[in-house]
Amino acid sequence: MVHVAGVDIGAAFSKVVVFDGNKVISYYIAPSSGSYKDTAEKVVAEALAKAGLSAGDIAFTMATGYGAANVATRDGVASNISCQGRGASYLFPSVRTVIDVGGQLTKVLKLDDEGRVRAFLQSERCAAGSGKVLQVIARVLQVDLEEIGALSLKSRKRIDFNTGCAVFAETEAVSRVAEGAVKEDILAGLHRALAAKIQTLVERVRLEPDCALVGGGARDIGLVKSIEEIMGLKLLVPEEPRIVAALGAALIAEEKVASTMKINIG
Amino acid sequence: MADFFAGVDIGSTMTKVAIMDGGIVASVIGPTGPEHRKLANRVMEEALAKAGLSFNEITYVVATGYGRINVPFADKQITEISCHARGIDSLLPAARTVIDIGGQDSKGIKLKDGRVVDFVMNDKCAAGTGRYLEVIAEALGVALDEIGQRSLEAKSEVAISSTCTVFAEQEVVSKLAEGVPVEDLLAGIHKAIATRVYGMVNRLKIEREVAITGGGAKNIGLVKALEAKLGFQVLVPPEPLLTGAIGAALLGRDMVEEAAQSGLSLTRSERRLHEATFFS
Repeated sequence: MVHVAGVDIGAAFSKVVVFDGNKVISYYIAPSSGSYKDTAEKVVAEALAKAGLSAGDIAFTMATGYGAANVATRDGVASNISCQGRGASYLFPSVRTVIDVGGQLTKVLKLDDEGRVRAFLQSERCAAGSGKVLQVIARVLQVDLEEIGALSLKSRKRIDFNTGCAVFAETEAVSRVAEGAVKEDILAGLHRALAAKIQTLVERVRLEPDCALVGGGARDIGLVKSIEEIMGLKLLVPEEPRIVAALGAALIAEEKVASTMKINIG
Repeated sequence: MADFFAGVDIGSTMTKVAIMDGGIVASVIGPTGPEHRKLANRVMEEALAKAGLSFNEITYVVATGYGRINVPFADKQITEISCHARGIDSLLPAARTVIDIGGQDSKGIKLKDGRVVDFVMNDKCAAGTGRYLEVIAEALGVALDEIGQRSLEAKSEVAISSTCTVFAEQEVVSKLAEGVPVEDLLAGIHKAIATRVYGMVNRLKIEREVAITGGGAKNIGLVKALEAKLGFQVLVPPEPLLTGAIGAALLGRDMVEEAAQSGLSLTRSERRLHEATFFS
């Protein structure tokens, strides 16, 4: 049994997946702190501990993400986009379009039948077009970020935002609250606004079904439903949407090991 | 008998009134706040009191700005672009390009023979507007009216990589925690906003002289940062916040004079100031 690790050091979160060739053995997610090197060390150690393995058990560690170079134990580095594509394709073989809603920007990937990325587009680094705006408004409304999705689904009358900017939206949300608006209605408007921005981005690459939603934003059920509603489709959402790139990195690592072994065996 | 004209400029952040005859007789500048209708009446009354005039002595009132529809006693509403252009044409006739940096928007205006020939505006994104500076000032714990001067005291410049206000705020807070001096951060921030505004206005093909107006023009750090981007000095009116109101008043005068020459009469607002106050 060959074990590999995929390590995705993102600007906001670091993720590790330990894979045995058949399934994910363990994974670990933690915020990326100031020192990417320390974070990388910690998340790898935690994932190994969860798997009941030691560093020596890992045949290949593939690093990806913004802080990939900080993974001391890496054997290779792969692009985040290719890792996203591989991971999504493994989870959902029918997927041809992947929408990744991260904490700073949103990406759209078009995949071929093998899970390779054919086309890729990313948004500007704009709070309103990423998960950041969810954080901003959640804070202003004093609702836990983990709960805004479910709460937004309770809305009976959505209140739409007039602005497309997270900074101005914050002011608008405060005004709405002062006028007596309920949080669920404001949150419904928030999710709708972000879904609309995502739709605009996706339209530029022409969506091909099936479509998967990954990244931190995919954990927000309100966002999932808003995108489905506004785009008129059903989204494929992984159980843990944040580890898709780390999983993809692990899969690429596994391929490397397999091909090396083939060479060795002859 | 002198004719008096009034311009009321209700911006998203600040409200400005100018009462003029040949020059400025009285002016009022104050925060807009949420309630526009009462606001227009209140600032007008304040300006009239300062001028020692009654409302009936004002020949014509022009309203402009984001909240111009909430000026019930205005005889006419005219866009800010036109009013700013007219104001600069009077205050700084050499200007061919106007850069207006307001509380929640920024604009570039090209002038030819005192008329607007082209313009560009950002009112969608907080970056490049006064709001950007407000957010950063708050995050750094420096008063908004001090950030400009402080930015000029920087020993070295910090490059701010984020265009977005939200991420720029995060960036400066994190750099501040690492020990980067506030002045250096402010210098980086002023350069960032100047870059953004310049990028937008450059679509108009900038021609000298360039005038800076709006609240942003009162920020010496921003003016200097824009000059650095442009590569030459800019013109700034004595009270940059009043440009729109002055232009509005002057456009009112232009219209009255034109009407008098052609023998036509101008429609004036039916509601007078005291009636409007009852309604609010």
